[in-house]
Amino acid sequence: MLRRVVTVILVLACAGGVIAYQATRRGKAPANPRVFVPSPTFFLDFSPSFRTSIADAYYLYMIQYYGEHVSGDGRLDSLPAMTRLVTTLSPHFTRAYLFSAFGLIDAGRPDVAYEILQKGFKANPGEWRFPAYLAFFIYTFGEKGPVKNELAADWYQKAAAIPGSPSYLPRLAARLLVKTGEREKAILMWGQAYLAGDKYARKKSVNGIRSVLPEGREASLKVLAPLSDTMPEADFKALLADLFPEGKL
Amino acid sequence: MRQLAAIAANTFKETIRDRVLAVIVVFALVMIAGGLWLGAISLGEQGRMMKDFGLVAVTGFGLIVAVFIAASLVHKEVDKRTVFVLFSKPVSRAAFITGKFLGLCGTMAVVLAGMGLFLFALVWLLQGSPSFMVLAAVLMIYVQLLAIIAVTIFFSTLGSAILASVLGICVFVAGQLSHNVLALTRLGSNTVTEALSWVIYVLIPNLTAVDVKAGVVGEQTLAWGQISLWVVYLLAYVVVVLALATVIFRRKEF
Repeated sequence: MLRRVVTVILVLACAGGVIAYQATRRGKAPANPRVFVPSPTFFLDFSPSFRTSIADAYYLYMIQYYGEHVSGDGRLDSLPAMTRLVTTLSPHFTRAYLFSAFGLIDAGRPDVAYEILQKGFKANPGEWRFPAYLAFFIYTFGEKGPVKNELAADWYQKAAAIPGSPSYLPRLAARLLVKTGEREKAILMWGQAYLAGDKYARKKSVNGIRSVLPEGREASLKVLAPLSDTMPEADFKALLADLFPEGKL
Repeated sequence: MRQLAAIAANTFKETIRDRVLAVIVVFALVMIAGGLWLGAISLGEQGRMMKDFGLVAVTGFGLIVAVFIAASLVHKEVDKRTVFVLFSKPVSRAAFITGKFLGLCGTMAVVLAGMGLFLFALVWLLQGSPSFMVLAAVLMIYVQLLAIIAVTIFFSTLGSAILASVLGICVFVAGQLSHNVLALTRLGSNTVTEALSWVIYVLIPNLTAVDVKAGVVGEQTLAWGQISLWVVYLLAYVVVVLALATVIFRRKEF
């Protein structure tokens, strides 16, 4: 009986010691922003059947790494390497590119974010979000000047041309094209927005086109002429009616 | 044929009674816990993570069950001396090996079907739409495991059960690196090593010819012609390995 009691006490004391030891450990020290990220080639060579699983595991690690540093030292030195690893192992993992791009913006590296989005678009040409975010990043973080607007408008045009893209993209492209002096292209974009959009989008498109039309009937029709090739006749007539409601034409 | 069916049926009953179905329960618990955890940390990619890691878990659990049961199938009969009773009847060694293999195939079918259907339901619940590719992937994993079962049975006719288990797992890992061995055959100028690498390449089952998991997560489109060819290759591989196992088992004296 005594032996049993002693054994129980000993085991309980040991368990208490284990818990006490763990409970009194200090919290994790701030992690190093530079972590080892293996080469994607290593995984491609040694476990091709599990490449997407490894990509997913690293994606989860990437999120933890971002969360750990973004509110701390703000340094995300290894994020580009992690993204390269994840997206090389799983090139169609859209969210990995987008997450990393926005993460790098937080880390003050829009240049790398731009590269990552370009890589994503190259691997996924049917995904409109890549060119749309490329345009957004250029417009928001690019150096001031006309080139910025031209580049952003170009990416918005590419995004708008992808089937399934939202109807506001051509309007954004058109606005930037006006800023760069590309009136004809802007009108074509508004025409696209008019075709794809709802009542609100149509009204916006009509206002946009109206704002760049020259004075006079002949001149206006001349500017609008290329639009007739890009949209059905009925829609073109409807657009003309919206543009000139009082039969001014 | 009747003897074969009887041995297969008995092996199935014997292995299914081995509490092997508990694996499905463990798998389900791991997946539920994993699903909840992944939902919190994957930024809306819960469905993808569940499919990908779920299939890895199916492979892992399936491999453990397949290898450890396959390794003990022949040895159990010898250790319990039931093999003497069996071979005193008109039962051929080939029927014994094939029957054991088929019985375990049935057990593995039940185990993988259980895990596969649970994963399918879980993915459906998370994504809101069924992903039949998950079931197709589980089927491919099943075919892979059949090759590993055959190899493990082959090794169990050569040595101890533990050795057979270890070698079975080694062959699975080697099968994942099959393409690297192929690369070795094309390197260097030494004809002997090149020939040796080629022999190893042919001996190891090619488990990486088709990447089904990548297809399930939308990483690549699956070429069904290629998959069918691969399945036929693996089944042919099973036949060859079982034939070799029978040849070795025939030489055994009891």
